[in-house]
Amino acid sequence: MRGKVAIVGAGPAGCFVAQSLLKDAPALEIALIDCLPTPYGLIRYGVAPDHQGTKAITRQFSRIFERQGARFFGNVHIGRDLSLDMLRDAYDAVVLAAGLSQDRRLGIAGDDLPGVYGAGSLIRSLQSHPFADPLPALGPNPLIVGNGNVAIDLLRLLSKSPRELAGSDLGAEATAWLAGNGFRSITVLGRSPGAKAKFDPLMIRELANLSRVRISLTDPGQADGDDEQKRIDALAGIDGIGSGPIEVKFCFSRVPLSVEGADHVTGLRVASPQGEKIIEASSIVTAVGFASNGELGASETDGAAGKPGSRLYSAGWFGHGPKGAIPDARLSAQTIAAQVLGELAADNRRIGSAIFENLPDVVDYAGWQRIEAAELLGRNDERCRAKLQSIDAMLQAARSNHAGSGEAGL
Amino acid sequence: MKIAVLYGTETGNAAMLADDIKSALDGDHDVACADLAAIDPAGLDGQDFHVIVCSTYGDGDVPASAKPFMTKLEALAPKLSHVRFAIFGLGDSEYAETFAHGSMKLAEALVAREAVQVGTRLTHNATADELPEDIALPWIRAILADLEDAV
Repeated sequence: MRGKVAIVGAGPAGCFVAQSLLKDAPALEIALIDCLPTPYGLIRYGVAPDHQGTKAITRQFSRIFERQGARFFGNVHIGRDLSLDMLRDAYDAVVLAAGLSQDRRLGIAGDDLPGVYGAGSLIRSLQSHPFADPLPALGPNPLIVGNGNVAIDLLRLLSKSPRELAGSDLGAEATAWLAGNGFRSITVLGRSPGAKAKFDPLMIRELANLSRVRISLTDPGQADGDDEQKRIDALAGIDGIGSGPIEVKFCFSRVPLSVEGADHVTGLRVASPQGEKIIEASSIVTAVGFASNGELGASETDGAAGKPGSRLYSAGWFGHGPKGAIPDARLSAQTIAAQVLGELAADNRRIGSAIFENLPDVVDYAGWQRIEAAELLGRNDERCRAKLQSIDAMLQAARSNHAGSGEAGL
Repeated sequence: MKIAVLYGTETGNAAMLADDIKSALDGDHDVACADLAAIDPAGLDGQDFHVIVCSTYGDGDVPASAKPFMTKLEALAPKLSHVRFAIFGLGDSEYAETFAHGSMKLAEALVAREAVQVGTRLTHNATADELPEDIALPWIRAILADLEDAV
């Protein structure tokens, strides 16, 4: 089968769609477009820097470009450099897989007070994302709202000692910031009982290895069924563990009512099984889901998941909301790819990748390989890579034809 | 030799390694490659040598695509004394307690049905510098060479 397909977003959802399309239709002309000069989206900037084994999935994605013939068009911002309509004119089908880059807000009084930060935003800062805000001062006792894997990732990173971050790709700035924090306590608070929390039991068990924490649980609740029992067992396994300097408190069954404070966060008022109370906090990090930045129009909020328009598809979190991990992205991408192939009608008048020709500073796959080579030159015993953070530094590395470019692709 | 490369995968990494093994053996052998999700244990062919690649997911469980196979293996308890297999596991030492338990559980379930395991189960650690194919290909070539010497 012939035809041209553009995928907006070269993160896991977009990569899995490309992989699946090319597996079934190797002759397709596929463009993976990203607003960053680098591919792999949340694998690079979302999966925690100390979970390098999970990040190794990029080996699959590199093959999409190196063996399956997809092309990468990085540093191309759809909605700014090219309109979505122009892209749709140039390609037989367009798949929106741009992810959800905004943090969902708590939606309670005070949720915009200084000292309230989104987990997504904080993680971008920790992961040296080019569009990241400066790392904030969280104070001695931050409170994380949310009971998903994102909340647990943050708790783990905030709690780790420098030694425990060896082998990660945490950047120098984030490393210095973590070392200077001096947290006395970190509270993780969720609406549901522990048995119904969204994190994976594995993520909880991993906390038992942390050297600097002492962990306690409040109101984990009772399990109903096997999956809930696994969660309760995992929680029971960390309750009371550790004797480190950071007190980690899991508080379940607490519904946030309002953020307290006049000109800065001082605490969170919650409804608990024991009635209303205020939990003191020097800052609040919300890890309660993600939302679209609205740039590409239709997202899951329109109830149009999968097929928001003619020859237009959506995949991953952008398509179905911020639920599911890498395996879910793979499975749903296979479904979307089958749908695209079933409906694809190639039209030779569509210009395909010629649409990118007059754009400045487009980074192709070889350019990304030069960026990666430059990052790997910075590896040492402590860090497995030194991420380039600014777009300028990335573009410079992408253009260079020395500085390790001979190693590109290794 | 007739070889069936079978994989159990969740994120696609085991599928990729299975592809690599198929490609590497294709010239010298008659090799087919399939997802365990499409395989009925009772239908395993005694003429084939089975090379299984299996990851681990969640709490040391077999990955999603191996689950139906595993369930049938346990529920239907087919006798598999005609089946010979070698198994390679993928894991991540960040999760040390359950490292590569998926492939371990699958191997145990096959052996419990009297399938014959050839060679030792080798595992790859995702939190490591070496590439899985760099240890899996020499491993399987050595096993196949031993098998051919024995004939």
